[in-house]
Amino acid sequence: MNTCLSFVPSNTECDFERIGKLQNRMNNRVPSICPERAEIVTRSFQETEGEAIVVRRAKALHKILEEMTIYIEEDSLIFGNQASVNFAASIFPEYSFEWVIKELDEFSSRSGDYFEITEETKARLRPLESYWKGKTHAEEVLHNLPEINRQAERQGVLHRGGISMSGDGHVIPNHDFVLEVGFGGMARIAEKKLQNPDLTQEQKDYYEASIIAMNGALKYIKRFGKLAMEKSQKETDEKRKQELRDMSKACENLMEGKAKSFYEAVETVYLTHLLMMIESNGHSFSFGRFDQYIYPYYQADLEAGVLTKEKALEILTHFFIMTNSLNKVRPWGHTQYSGGYPLYSNLMVGGMKPDGTDGTNDISYLCLEAMNQSKLPEPNLSVRYSKDTPDDLLKDSAMLIRQGFGMPSLFCDEVVIPAMMTLDLELETARDYASMGCVETAIPGKWGHRATGMTYINFGKIFELILNNGMDPKTGIQLLSITGKEGRDAAYESYDKLWEAWEKALRFYSDLAVDCDLVCDRALKHHDADAFASSTIDCSLERGKTLKNGGSEYDFISQSNIGPSVVGDSLYAVKKLVFDEQVLTLKKLQEVLDANFEGAEGAQVRKLCRAVPKFGNDNNEVDEIVANVYESYLALLPNYRTDRHGRGPKGCRYTMSTSNITSYVPNGFDVGATPDGRLAGKPLNEGASPCLGADREGPTAVINSISKLPNDRMAGGQLLNMRFSPGALAGEENLEKFINFIKVARFKNVFHNQFNIADGETLRDAKAHPEDHVDLMVRVAGYCALFSTLMPEAQDAIIERTEHQW
Amino acid sequence: METRGLVSKIQRYSTKDGPGIRSTVFLVGCNLRCAWCANPEAMFPDKKVMFHQNLCKRCGACVEAADNHAIQLTTKGCEIDRDACTNLATLADVCPYNAYENIGTVVGAEELVERLLRDRAFYDVSKGGVTFSGGEPCLQNEFLEKVVRILKAEGIHVAIDTAGLWSFDQVWPILEMSDLILLDIKAMDAYIHQLCTGTDNRIILENARNIAEKGKKIWVRMVIVPTMNDDLPDIKRRLDFIKELGDSVERIDLLKYHALGIGKYEALGVKYPLSGIGECDEGLIQEILAYASRIGLSIRFG
Ligand code: SF4
Ligand code: SF4
Repeated sequence: MNTCLSFVPSNTECDFERIGKLQNRMNNRVPSICPERAEIVTRSFQETEGEAIVVRRAKALHKILEEMTIYIEEDSLIFGNQASVNFAASIFPEYSFEWVIKELDEFSSRSGDYFEITEETKARLRPLESYWKGKTHAEEVLHNLPEINRQAERQGVLHRGGISMSGDGHVIPNHDFVLEVGFGGMARIAEKKLQNPDLTQEQKDYYEASIIAMNGALKYIKRFGKLAMEKSQKETDEKRKQELRDMSKACENLMEGKAKSFYEAVETVYLTHLLMMIESNGHSFSFGRFDQYIYPYYQADLEAGVLTKEKALEILTHFFIMTNSLNKVRPWGHTQYSGGYPLYSNLMVGGMKPDGTDGTNDISYLCLEAMNQSKLPEPNLSVRYSKDTPDDLLKDSAMLIRQGFGMPSLFCDEVVIPAMMTLDLELETARDYASMGCVETAIPGKWGHRATGMTYINFGKIFELILNNGMDPKTGIQLLSITGKEGRDAAYESYDKLWEAWEKALRFYSDLAVDCDLVCDRALKHHDADAFASSTIDCSLERGKTLKNGGSEYDFISQSNIGPSVVGDSLYAVKKLVFDEQVLTLKKLQEVLDANFEGAEGAQVRKLCRAVPKFGNDNNEVDEIVANVYESYLALLPNYRTDRHGRGPKGCRYTMSTSNITSYVPNGFDVGATPDGRLAGKPLNEGASPCLGADREGPTAVINSISKLPNDRMAGGQLLNMRFSPGALAGEENLEKFINFIKVARFKNVFHNQFNIADGETLRDAKAHPEDHVDLMVRVAGYCALFSTLMPEAQDAIIERTEHQW
Repeated sequence: METRGLVSKIQRYSTKDGPGIRSTVFLVGCNLRCAWCANPEAMFPDKKVMFHQNLCKRCGACVEAADNHAIQLTTKGCEIDRDACTNLATLADVCPYNAYENIGTVVGAEELVERLLRDRAFYDVSKGGVTFSGGEPCLQNEFLEKVVRILKAEGIHVAIDTAGLWSFDQVWPILEMSDLILLDIKAMDAYIHQLCTGTDNRIILENARNIAEKGKKIWVRMVIVPTMNDDLPDIKRRLDFIKELGDSVERIDLLKYHALGIGKYEALGVKYPLSGIGECDEGLIQEILAYASRIGLSIRFG
């Protein structure tokens, strides 16, 4: 058993030994590919040709839930499975299928995120291809994507995100509602709505689909009831026998209406999550403010004397562990953007209630303890804190962080709430924010789309292009010319001219990125018409619309911007060396960059470039330029609308986010040497963090630099990742100092922070000898992953992060 | 003219030099020569040049640039004849790979304070502040006095990390303004002290008594270096002495010797005075702790 944080068990109702067994099995989980869902969905679609898409999808879901293999994980109190075996990834051919077939033989030999696949599975998947040809989401996107966008992608500026080939995901259900009415209740609402004679066809289809989906979910639960009974009859261990019997009993009417106990509530939250992930292969389906909506069930059971804190911990820990049984497979190209099998199932605790009082409760602490016991990459545990957060919660968080597996990440209410208010929310609404996915922020139950990560924009590449008058030195593609002339020569006379070029190019590519978003969103309207997930979000059942067609209450999205620190540092280097101090000509700099700083002269110039102050060291001049880079993008946002504009949701606007998962690594591949001294092909900076290894003045300087960014207007989420050496947090006193360090963020405008506690030596050893470090978990970029599952370049980027040690 | 000081380094988020989150300012120059000194770049006077062999890419630029052919590229890398090389300090600009590093920056009192105050929020929340260390910070007493005065006017907690070898009258005004004195007690026996640090300890002990008498808060630090100052009877005398200092002593830290400074000696081209010294014996530590508790002192270790 892992040493507890502040929790002290006072009875034996939490079986830590069993948790250890379950944890161990999950830690050694084997990723594989499961063909079942693909087969069933194909058959279903063949049977429903000509019907409305939302109905077809609901029928497919219903059929999957009826026919798929189900099993109950040994030892687990929590049941429900996504694919035929633990940690197998289902295939979702309706979104994109070509790549699956193409990569069939490569899944098991990838350098990161590999999947085992049997010849039988391959043989079962191959014949499905002909049906889906020309019907998938990805093909529709590709068909509608303007040629100029393709060119921008070839240049390496734009990258179509996951939404161009899979579902959107990014739903935090209104769990208060789901737990209150149940799946049955939602079906009844839809049935009642159907009585209305004035419905549009869209509404009729949606309600019909919702009923089908909910009934499928209820049938799925009943199947488990039967299975649990069968298993209990065979079970010889008395305790387990009883648990299986209880499980079976609960399934008799689970979710036909309100959740009747703490256990039912937790099980339902898990099932809702899982069902959304059978319905669609989006990711970042998240749990929202778990401690807030679960607490009433916990409290009621405690008061009724049917639950103890220890039992609650056991149930929660099983739930945490079981979220790691789910999986998703992405094409290799996308995997580079999000290494480590992430599902980004964020679970948030702590923070203010809508009325402004502190919401910390027993469940907040128990979740930290459950993570302490489970120590697996999912759920992605986040803690909100404000001035009223008890020190004890921060202490438990710090103790968990100190163990070095990257969780929890921390969100500062005093910064995030004002950022959410920039979206014109009511204060009470803004106070109810939760993190979704990695670090993006949304209001649970009210958002229906990803808050970030639509199209990826490579800021570093745009900077390289402006130095070359818009021409990409690598591909020779030129989509805009700064000077109006063809060719690479830009010859800026002043820093102001260079800055204007940045603004011009940024706008050019942002416009293209928004076009790409629209193409994806329009295709998703059809291909991601998901009645089950939609019904869990406010307004959707009321309006009779899926999320993708305007069913949610609010609608704010953002793209993912990669490399603002590289751009700011580079702009500052050019400003200083070329324009202010004139120790270099722009031409010379250009030559040296083209040669990737090679040769004696290159080395001298690189030395000059590196000596120019960098973001992350509390230097006002360069920090201001980095802030300007943010401002230049923020200024563009009022121009953009989402596809749902005018169709129901409030907002339908854009916001900004630096949540960029591991994309800073592959995006760096495309960018040549930059004036900050970065070599060609090396990673860009991660989120809002300083460039790799650029922060030399310690963590307080990093915080001071970050504080100068417009964080309180980054409503899509701001990402900061810091690495401390284990020694810096060792012992009570250092822990106390670290807690205070975290607290200061409240006064320093720091949106989010997450920590890796690992020394370079350990990480280097883990890269060389992965077998000795199977359970080394690291914070990647807004989520955690097992280090050994990352591709080598992403491992290097983590190793190169500045390690703060004292 | 503005008062200026010579600083080797400012360590932000320093956690070892007093309460809370602190910034530690290392002032250059010391009047002791402790054989185990981990900060040789601050111990020896004046600016210095460090050479980091591991960064050298053997490009030959410094060989070209050095006066009097003072640098040669050998199979081991650059060999520098520091006596012959009269332009050593310029090589930091020459080497493209930053293998040469100039240590020591002259900084004005106001400028230093401005930099230190940037972390004010961290000091405030964590009840931390600024620590002056070195070297012996009190050797630059005029500069230090000025800096401490401004910091105190700003309400910042100030600690002085000192070895205690100075004229009391000259330094007391600084200590009086400060909140905490971090005091090293290295040896009681004058001969041992001489052997370890190059000076006797009469003034040091007297200053320690004076500070205690004035009621200034003291954190005593005792580093135990095997073969140097690990004589148990002498250590017991040190503890007795600390006991005599009375209530002013708020905390005592027992520190194990570490050889982490050795790389810096190499980079400075100076011979490391100690060699092959192992870890402090665990049994000795236990005896020290036992004795301390017997005479009613509580000691922190580790
Ligand atoms: S200039 Fe620098 S890299 Fe070149 S030989 Fe000298 S020390 Fe080595
Ligand atoms: S007193 Fe401190 S700085 Fe001076 S030599 Fe001794 S250890 Fe080094």
